[in-house]
Amino acid sequence: MMKRTALAVATSVVALLSLNGVAHAQSRGGIIDVATIGEPPTLDPMASTADLVGIVTQHIFETLYTFDAKWGATPLLAAALPTISEDGTVYTIPLRTGIKFHDGSTMGAADVVASLERWTRIATRGKQAGEVITGIAATDEATVTITLSKPYAPLVALLSLNNAAAIVIPAANAAQDPLESFVGTGPYKLEDRVPDQYIQLVRFDDYQSLGGEPNGYGGARNQYLDEIRFVPVPDPSTRIGVAMAGQYDYIDQLPVESFAQIESGATDPVVLAPFGWPVFMMNTKEGLNSDIRVRKAIQAALAPEDMMIAAFGSEDFFSIDAAWYPDSFVWHTEAGTDAYKPLGDTETAKALLAEAGYDGSPLRILTSRQYEFHYKMALVAQAYLEAAGFKVQMDVVEWATLTTNRADPALWDIYITHSPFLPEPSLMGLMSDTSPGWWATDAKHQAVEAFNAESDPAKRVALFAEVQKVIYDEVPGYKVGNFNALAAQSPDLEGVTPAPWPYFWNAYVTAE
Amino acid sequence: MVRSALNRIFGMLVVMALVVTIVFVIVRLTPGDPAAVMLGPDATAADIESLRERLGLNASIPQQFLTYVGGILRGDFGQSIFLNMPVTEALMQRAEPTFFLTLFSLLIATLIALPVGVLSAYWRGSAFDQAATTLAMFAASVPSFWLGLVFMQFFAVRLGWFDASGYGGPGASFGERMHHLVLPALTLGLISSALITRFTRASMLDVLNDDYVRTARSKGMSEWRVVTRHALKNALIPILTVIGLTAALLISGAIVTETVFGLPGVGSLIVSAVLRRDYPLIQGALLVVAGLYVLVNFIIDMLYLIIDPRVRY
Repeated sequence: MMKRTALAVATSVVALLSLNGVAHAQSRGGIIDVATIGEPPTLDPMASTADLVGIVTQHIFETLYTFDAKWGATPLLAAALPTISEDGTVYTIPLRTGIKFHDGSTMGAADVVASLERWTRIATRGKQAGEVITGIAATDEATVTITLSKPYAPLVALLSLNNAAAIVIPAANAAQDPLESFVGTGPYKLEDRVPDQYIQLVRFDDYQSLGGEPNGYGGARNQYLDEIRFVPVPDPSTRIGVAMAGQYDYIDQLPVESFAQIESGATDPVVLAPFGWPVFMMNTKEGLNSDIRVRKAIQAALAPEDMMIAAFGSEDFFSIDAAWYPDSFVWHTEAGTDAYKPLGDTETAKALLAEAGYDGSPLRILTSRQYEFHYKMALVAQAYLEAAGFKVQMDVVEWATLTTNRADPALWDIYITHSPFLPEPSLMGLMSDTSPGWWATDAKHQAVEAFNAESDPAKRVALFAEVQKVIYDEVPGYKVGNFNALAAQSPDLEGVTPAPWPYFWNAYVTAE
Repeated sequence: MVRSALNRIFGMLVVMALVVTIVFVIVRLTPGDPAAVMLGPDATAADIESLRERLGLNASIPQQFLTYVGGILRGDFGQSIFLNMPVTEALMQRAEPTFFLTLFSLLIATLIALPVGVLSAYWRGSAFDQAATTLAMFAASVPSFWLGLVFMQFFAVRLGWFDASGYGGPGASFGERMHHLVLPALTLGLISSALITRFTRASMLDVLNDDYVRTARSKGMSEWRVVTRHALKNALIPILTVIGLTAALLISGAIVTETVFGLPGVGSLIVSAVLRRDYPLIQGALLVVAGLYVLVNFIIDMLYLIIDPRVRY
């Protein structure tokens, strides 16, 4: 009960903060230390889709668009949302003028063109967009035009994301791969980096913030803080320790079960609810799961409620939700979700398995203990699958091995992963034919292509319901539920809006 | 003595050649791919393949091995894939915390172990001896990560005397950096002291019963002089061996403690290099650790010759 009250308080503190109902006046100055889960593999946000890379580099680099508080695209380096031609193939993007890079030069259309070309060449998401992009050109000094071979609605969302990001860098640096000059337009610039010790960012004095109020990642970006330092603290127990000791101002990614401990320590817990989804990805290309009836049997056999309890301990930290997007997103829909049984349906699973003529060969679950909740879910899943008649083989490896092995269809039937809720459904791994799982059927292509081709937001919502229906029908993946994320922040740190990729412009300290 | 030294050095070179080969093979046999780790969870197979090509991971294994060995012979350990800097530079950056952590831990361990071990032997069977033995058994069986977390909980979280993690921010002074080493050094020092205590006690027991000790006593020499000058000096060889081995272990064995306390030392560098499959860095770091291990053994062997002129190799 105590814990529940504390949680309610923590969540309402968060709610207050995010309503801009801040109690203290924002003051300029101060240095904050942010504990992250490790050292980012690179500081080039085009070169990686890792969340950690995006979290750090979004302070240094900026994109043409970003996401507002409701996950809609909003202009950042662009002056307005693009004008889209009648046939949906020409995007005209007006640029803000007088924007300075950290090296003192001024951003122009040529920089944007060179950056976007680099994006389509290097970035995973850029290459995805590059398949339909036929031309990127500067129409004048403050306008860029992107021409497509066919309508592609996810483009603006792809341009807004902060990982594999379409950042704008000086044209002179665009040929660098790997990137060597970390020169962006962001509110903070890179001052120093000592790997595994700290990444030091300092205020960029020539930054030109958008006017108005902050709005999610968009709107005004106020530079109250003098410095932001990202410090890797890879060990989760140590992150709990530093949070309790109050050594850092913000501690990212704490195990949710440490909530009570954090509560009793020197920093305040911050709950982001809901944060994301854990997913069981199915190998539709080879092995047992290439048979849709086996996948349907798995869908029936799994009991998400028990899996989530085992993984997250308390209902305070997860929710059972069949819809791929929770109701805080426009994409939320119940379409097709009848097949999701919170307590599992062993009898149906048995019948489906018999129908599939299952020969007793082992179902291989590829997972890792890098994320303990993956492993715990897998253990419960194993029990339910065995009850339905499956023989289950658990392949527990460490994360680097998992990322390699999942690329080989001969090695697994299910692998477990998770993701924060992605603002645009097209970004989901399932939507691509080539991501591990290799789901590529006519029904999928029909639903996804219709969704990608439609530019009217309201119609896209309806079309996503069709996509979700196909997902439940063909089971290329199994979304287990929604889970919350826990972070901690110093009582002196204000102005941080809980977000899947926390950002610290607009943050300020109230006392030393 | 020169011949003994030359013999030893030749042996060291053979060991290092074996280490180079074994490390290279093990690293290549481990599944996992630096390119996949670098590009992140949503990277496509084609992206990974093109990065592998650029990193030179698609060359044949013998080809990679020749390039690697050729580089080592020229003093070039290669380029870290993730840190984008030469492996030697990355190791130099991490040398300071590891060096001082080893030094402090060893100091703490020796300062505890020598007096306790000597007194335990001297008062054999006494309450002090039994208490020391029990404590040493306890220290030897405690895992370092657990003791580290307990110290962190008490000294950093509750008392706030020390920082729980890290090695100081930008511009941290030498003193501040050393302050970050207190808790990890205490953790490692206490644990390492157990073994040294046991060896000191055993070795002292051997010599305390020897004739020359009795002779020294019968000459009317003070007990202090008997124990320190005659007994301890002769008991020193096995003790020195253990201290040397502990030093070598600490260089590599500080991995867990460095990770728990977020210290950017050689140990945590090895851990992150392995998790990211940064092949050149794993190879370089392991080679340096093995080299130090061999070197410490060499120094100890040479010290035997100095301490006890009867020793011959």
